[in-house]
Amino acid sequence: MNAASVLWQKNPALAWREIDETTVIISPSDSVMHELNDTGSFLWKNIDGYKCAADLAALLAEKYEVAPDIALTDTQSLLEEMSSRKLLVPVPAMVGESR
Amino acid sequence: MTITATPGPTPVMDRLISRTVEKRRPLSVHFDLTYRCNERCLHCYLDHDDHGELTTAECVAVMEDLARSGTLFLTFSGGEIFLRQDLCEILAAARRLHFDISLKTNALLVTKERAARLREFGVRRVQISVYSDIPEVHDAITKVPGSLQRTLVAIPLLLEVGLQVKLACPLMQENLLAYRGVMALAEKLGIPYVLDLTITPMMDGSGGPLAHRASVSSLLPVLRDPALHACKPQPSLGVDSAVENSLASLGSAVSSGIESSAYEDLPCSAGHNSCYISPYGDVFPCVQLPQAAGNLRRERFGDIWYHAPQLERLRAIRESHLPICSRCEIRSYCERCPGLALMEGGDLLGAYERACELAEQKARIAGVFDPVSALHKERAAAASQAISGNEIASLAADSSPN
Repeated sequence: MNAASVLWQKNPALAWREIDETTVIISPSDSVMHELNDTGSFLWKNIDGYKCAADLAALLAEKYEVAPDIALTDTQSLLEEMSSRKLLVPVPAMVGESR
Repeated sequence: MTITATPGPTPVMDRLISRTVEKRRPLSVHFDLTYRCNERCLHCYLDHDDHGELTTAECVAVMEDLARSGTLFLTFSGGEIFLRQDLCEILAAARRLHFDISLKTNALLVTKERAARLREFGVRRVQISVYSDIPEVHDAITKVPGSLQRTLVAIPLLLEVGLQVKLACPLMQENLLAYRGVMALAEKLGIPYVLDLTITPMMDGSGGPLAHRASVSSLLPVLRDPALHACKPQPSLGVDSAVENSLASLGSAVSSGIESSAYEDLPCSAGHNSCYISPYGDVFPCVQLPQAAGNLRRERFGDIWYHAPQLERLRAIRESHLPICSRCEIRSYCERCPGLALMEGGDLLGAYERACELAEQKARIAGVFDPVSALHKERAAAASQAISGNEIASLAADSSPN
């Protein structure tokens, strides 16, 4: 399994709301508030436990009409940042499954 | 680049408030689930009988409506919320809808198991009413013997599961000198607290609870206490990134007015980005502004929020429009509440005695020389004019030929 094939899901512990194309996320455990801009919000909406970075980057490239390689770099960067902040968690792999 | 940094140094919360005020999004909703209560606090403004609370399904439908409308901060209160047998179902729905959930409770019914469930439901904060650290004082206010002891047993249960707990202490005649004990109790527990000087009339406007309100002169030692001014909200952190974060403030020692610059020239947040929902589905701008804008059994929340004439009128009010208060030289010391202006002074736009008296005392404590509110200046001028008129009349009578 490589990093690009990891499927991501929103951390179920979070409170969040998209308000006028900006998403605000609050972590109840530490009351830290996070804010996603419109592109971050677009990715957030599409993070559903079934998509990896490449899938999300493809959606981003289509929506914002950017080159696929730039979209992938940006997507991976944001996913890493959100993961480091525990906003996202990887979907556990099924036993015997390889990606 | 398509993922850009969010510009500007403004903390996340300030930007959120600005955006929601500007676009009139109901960011923050206070939802009373019941007015029933297992305490009978002297100062309570509620009628505790059940006049037909929203059902579980109705509560869930309301929350779905709120989520669609952009509400993030949802506070469940009462009455005592744990008297709702369906509280877990309601919290589960709130969790599923991704609200940031806060509760207000007296904690009498909190058990270890219930505390753990609250954590599972994603509840972030629990505010608990404590009137004193002295059982006789607290219990005399709640009229429930043993209530302080039971409340104090519950607090560690909530803290142990990782919930944030805050003490709230409304100050009235009966516990005026107890605030130091509540402060010490909060410090011992390592939790924030808030002292509230506001005692309001009943929601129907009758003044029962006001009989327990401490006079402004008796509040002077509290207002002057340097220990209260030492406790300030923690500063927010801002991170310049596509993902930004900030620490929510812990709260201040004495409840105060709204602080965000987004509210500049607005009397308060009520109806702009916050509102109150009663257990019967009535939507009010605020729990302290009992002018129902609509009922959720008959209308959808969005239709009330965006179209109710009561809310439209409220939103049009600016501080600079207030006929008396806009001219007041000590306005910055005042915590005028539009709801109390209506309930106590009879005029949503008006000044009222309590706020003026408190503002004068606060200004005096801050070093302002002989502070006089605009209301009191106006009254003094009117009295002076009346005296002058009488004197002229008297002189005219004296000089008139016999």
